[in-house]
Amino acid sequence: MARVSLGSAWGKGNIVHTVEGRPIPELPDLARMHRERSDRIQEQLHAQGLAGLVLLGTSAVSYATGAAQPGADSARAGLFRPVAVVVTGEPAPHLFTPYPEGAPGDLPPDHVHPPAFPDLDEGAAALATAVSELIPRGRIGIDELPHPLRAALAHRDVVSAGSVMVPVKLRKTADELACIRIAQRCNELAMCDVMPLLRPGVRQSTLTATFLDRLHELGDVSNGIDPIWQPMPASVAAGPWTTHGDIAFPTGSTGEVLRSGDVIWCDTGIHYEGYASDFGRTWLVGAEPTARQRAQYERWQDVTDAVLALCKPGVTALDLDRGAIAANGGTKPWIEHFYLSHAVGTDSAEMPLIGTDLGETFDEQQVLAPGMILVLEPVIWEDGYGGYRAEDIYAVTDDGWVSLSDFPYDPFARS
Amino acid sequence: MTGLLAQQESGQIDMARLRADRRRRLFDAMAAHGLDALVLGRAADVAFASGARQLWTAGARPFGPGCVVVASTGHVHLLSTWDEGVPPEIGHDDLFGLKWNPANLLGSLSAIPGIEQARRVGTDSYSPGFEQFLAAVAPDAEIVDAGPALGEARSAKSEDEVALIERAVAVAEAALTAMDDAVEPGATERDLMRAYLAAISRLGCMQPPTEGVACATPRSGPVTLRRLTSERQLGPGQLVVLNPSALYAGYEGGLGRTVAVGEVSPAAARLAARAREVLDAAIDRCRAGARGADLRSDDAAVIAYGLGLGVEAPVIGADVGGDAELRSGMVLSVQAWVAEEGVGGVLQRDAVHVVDGTPRVLSRYRSELV
Repeated sequence: MARVSLGSAWGKGNIVHTVEGRPIPELPDLARMHRERSDRIQEQLHAQGLAGLVLLGTSAVSYATGAAQPGADSARAGLFRPVAVVVTGEPAPHLFTPYPEGAPGDLPPDHVHPPAFPDLDEGAAALATAVSELIPRGRIGIDELPHPLRAALAHRDVVSAGSVMVPVKLRKTADELACIRIAQRCNELAMCDVMPLLRPGVRQSTLTATFLDRLHELGDVSNGIDPIWQPMPASVAAGPWTTHGDIAFPTGSTGEVLRSGDVIWCDTGIHYEGYASDFGRTWLVGAEPTARQRAQYERWQDVTDAVLALCKPGVTALDLDRGAIAANGGTKPWIEHFYLSHAVGTDSAEMPLIGTDLGETFDEQQVLAPGMILVLEPVIWEDGYGGYRAEDIYAVTDDGWVSLSDFPYDPFARS
Repeated sequence: MTGLLAQQESGQIDMARLRADRRRRLFDAMAAHGLDALVLGRAADVAFASGARQLWTAGARPFGPGCVVVASTGHVHLLSTWDEGVPPEIGHDDLFGLKWNPANLLGSLSAIPGIEQARRVGTDSYSPGFEQFLAAVAPDAEIVDAGPALGEARSAKSEDEVALIERAVAVAEAALTAMDDAVEPGATERDLMRAYLAAISRLGCMQPPTEGVACATPRSGPVTLRRLTSERQLGPGQLVVLNPSALYAGYEGGLGRTVAVGEVSPAAARLAARAREVLDAAIDRCRAGARGADLRSDDAAVIAYGLGLGVEAPVIGADVGGDAELRSGMVLSVQAWVAEEGVGGVLQRDAVHVVDGTPRVLSRYRSELV
């Protein structure tokens, strides 16, 4: 990391937070992280009886290979995509990439290949040939089959790569947690520069410009989502129509001018070494919170505290749902189309997802374990009076949890 | 309050007319290819079919249903939990909300009128298991590649679409100016990227098509065009590639130029002249009926790809796209890259509108190194 001091504090005091006995390091050991991710993939490949993987999605390729690519919109990231081919029994993955400069140093040079274009007929045929050389027989796990590749691999037995990729990503290693912590730190530092701009008359686009500028000054990171600066209405009815009658969030930013007293729900996310941050706060434009708004924040803090009080290995996701609901007076404190909590990893939202429409039985089967990530994002809503939303990242440790976020709740902080 | 945000900035283009034209092209292409329905997952295809403003996220994600188009009803159904940023021709009944549970998504899709009777369903990609999923929604349907139909609908641009691309090019040109201003000894590639991002954001075009916009080419050793920016500092005499793009109302435009830090050596000037010459020759061959191979040159690496709602087919390079046919109405990004050890590299890139006759260059910016 250039130009950014991360400080030395991992939480407060001298508590050493460990995951499977290993302290979370200040800086990740990237070679060890790549090796351990590869080990996990190999273990699952064996367990699932797969001969290999072909991965096309940005987050999956990043996880499997550690390869970097420039932050890009989905169209470009699709057409000019790095592709990973993982062979069962062969620890080093193969990387086909338009960005050879992004291949990690620990990848053998003969495993870095020219770009594949699996979305184009001739590119898909060439990739299929390479796959048949690398994985001559057996069942292949794959995350996406653009039609040209589907045709080129028609003779092969292919299944979803999810049976491998979901379990390997579920519990982070100490190095992965360090990456998430650094991503979050950079995200937070960039938001420090945005906060003072929040005065009447500022445009959303100005906030974004400042955020992106500071972000890239901080280090080797890329932006993950168009920053959200959403002025919230006082009531659901005053906001956009929704399919479920709940709040519309998050909606995209424009050049909208923010006005005095606007309640802004902001939500930003960036990537460091492939790992996503997730920043969410409620801010006010040129105003101090009213007593009611302060009370909404206090309620949010109560819900968060109640969930964290339960948080340790062995507890189920359903326990967390129930704890959050109880702390909110019996009402579900999250938005209908979202969740109480999700994880981040090389995806900005990944398992465990807690409180979704997958249902109570699903949540009861999700048992917290060391290395799991909880991005708690309760929402307190009082229809007619708006609401408070913030989110912070926590990691489940061997004996509890540790916060990977460190940002104040101004201007609401508990007195 | 009818919405928290404005519709997409239109740039004095009649966006309703533009969307109606795109919709007509889409349904015509579906009819021509015998498609009863489309299930679309890629953001650009969803944007083309629906006209909705979607949240920009970086990276490519696996296939999942984001938009369903039904030929028999003429309706476009959109995965959106709210009507913010959704154009008026898509009614509330046409929206289906975000679900995490596939069973609930299945319920939403099954409720779409006309989908159950579909026999041929085109998708813009595919994932293992999708066949079983779709069988529960449209039991008699065969899944086919919607690519040819989508390509037909999307590749030949209307004048309105070309006007939006031209505006995106103008934003990229503004960013190029800001980047050029930031070029000085000691500045880093990342500083140039920051100048780029700040410039496009301040013009209200906050989503970069790619963050890979600056490359300081080395003055010794092998020269490659890198897209990942670094902390490398620029030194006197170095050739620096500035390669910005921008999205305007979803449409992409961009251009690439190369500048020298300080003095321009005669060798660098010769390299720049060669790149420009090759690019001008390639642009001149961007005519309806030409093939991708016609653009290639022995003197430089020529790469071309389609521009529209982001990048799109065709992709033409040394190993791909030789047979791709250029059609009237396409907009292409065409670039020439030359490199010489001991000197550095020069990239020139322009946006080109393929028409019947002399190609129209949409970018206008000086090509000299200073």
